[in-house]
Amino acid sequence: MPNSPKIFLLPAMLTVLAAALAMLYFFDPATSGLFPPCPLRYLTGWYCPGCGSLRAMHQLLLGNLRAAWALNPLTVLLSPFLLYGTASFALFELRGRRLPRLFLPAAFIRALYAVIILFGIARNIPLQPFASLAPAAPQVQAGRALRQSSQTP
Amino acid sequence: MFCTQCGANNADTATTCVQCGRSLQPAPSLPAQSAPMLQTPGIYVQNYLVFAILATVLCCLPAGIVAIVYAAQVNGKLQAGDIAGAQAASKNAKMWCWISAGVGLAAGAIWMLLVGIGALSNLHH
Repeated sequence: MPNSPKIFLLPAMLTVLAAALAMLYFFDPATSGLFPPCPLRYLTGWYCPGCGSLRAMHQLLLGNLRAAWALNPLTVLLSPFLLYGTASFALFELRGRRLPRLFLPAAFIRALYAVIILFGIARNIPLQPFASLAPAAPQVQAGRALRQSSQTP
Repeated sequence: MFCTQCGANNADTATTCVQCGRSLQPAPSLPAQSAPMLQTPGIYVQNYLVFAILATVLCCLPAGIVAIVYAAQVNGKLQAGDIAGAQAASKNAKMWCWISAGVGLAAGAIWMLLVGIGALSNLHH
């Protein structure tokens, strides 16, 4: 039985995914303390390419495309592909059936890799148009931060 | 041996793939070393690109990036007809996805622990 751990691994992964999506739907990572802050952002103050992706996914789940775009445009652009890929993977693992396969040429994947790196660099440049690529602080969060800072000595 | 349809790793003695059920007997009509194939029908090597991207933006950036590089290698080698090379790259892509996920989960667990300790110490004061 070379693949027996898979029997347990797959339902476990799907459960974790469903729980994560539910948590992301009901709690906004921008305001709730449930989600860990990014260690890179905390230690260096830099935005990585993934900065704002959780908050963007929360806004996407709520249907706020504009807010999601302001937080992380890359996440919004990649989400249809990620959704399709995850669905195709799950369907294959559960039913043995594959959705029509997207074969991305290697050059395309390398380009994507370059885009992720360049996006990460660009959003740290404190000049327009690059600065607008940094995750936008929603109004609610800014107000909350102000109140918090006035409370602490 | 690897299944030529889904890429699952099977025992060398297996006659059908444990994952997709395809026969693992070598087809006698096919030449052993065929010319470079471009997206040969029936040959599928998972490149884990979706998970590599998720791992990059959600978990651990450096390990996720390595997984994306291997995902590109999988498709590049498939395009060149190098099935064995693609399967080796696929294994590496999978491994780096798991490393990234592990780092991300560990960081999350440590964070939860710190939040828990913080909540406890707040109770005392």
